[in-house]
Amino acid sequence: MTNLAEIEDYNYAVFVGSEQYMAFRSLLPVGSSAPDFQAQMLETGSPVRLSEYWKKGDVLIEFGSLT
Amino acid sequence: MARAFAPKGINFLFLYTREAHPGENYPAHRSFEQKLAHARAFKAEFKTERPILVDDLVGTAHKLYGSLPNMTYLVSRGGRVLFRADWTDPPTIEHAINYVLNSRARRREGLRLAPFYAEFVGYRWNDPAKFQEGLARAGQQSIDDFARAIERRSKQGPRPGRIELPE
Repeated sequence: MTNLAEIEDYNYAVFVGSEQYMAFRSLLPVGSSAPDFQAQMLETGSPVRLSEYWKKGDVLIEFGSLT
Repeated sequence: MARAFAPKGINFLFLYTREAHPGENYPAHRSFEQKLAHARAFKAEFKTERPILVDDLVGTAHKLYGSLPNMTYLVSRGGRVLFRADWTDPPTIEHAINYVLNSRARRREGLRLAPFYAEFVGYRWNDPAKFQEGLARAGQQSIDDFARAIERRSKQGPRPGRIELPE
């Protein structure tokens, strides 16, 4: 169950520059299996899984936000 | 780029995460509706044609891939990581995709190619003025918070995991 503390912890209100660049390096090295996930497609409002895309072909996925 | 590579079987996606630099105009998400609204604003602002997938409110997908604000992954048909970068830089992505496509073409020509692990240092275009424009879009808080973070960093020395090389 999602609680407010978890939401506030992930969605920090103030940028402090604590990104874990070193941890990124060992997380999913090339050659490993990409974890699947479900997200909501903005255009349709429907849930989609990443694996639906990699079943069709290669996937280039960029992560980011407006800010 | 997405359009150029689509006929070659590359699906381009954008995963909308938390706000990296929250400010008065685009504060930290507290509801999924708010996150969707920000994602719509992103689509309008950058006129991206790629499908935008919106992660859940606690960043489940984002955390699985390392939680960095501006990462890129190239995943093969079948779900293997072929390329990843801790920053999104279009020429670097193009280079990586072309490498994969060329390797496959050489294989089709009958060349025996064995996969191996490789890394390289990326060079991304860094435009401070454009970056400040982005912060301004979020609001004054975003500008101030970033300036404070930079000031703290300047006292701390090199950051683990960030690459600094002489010119």
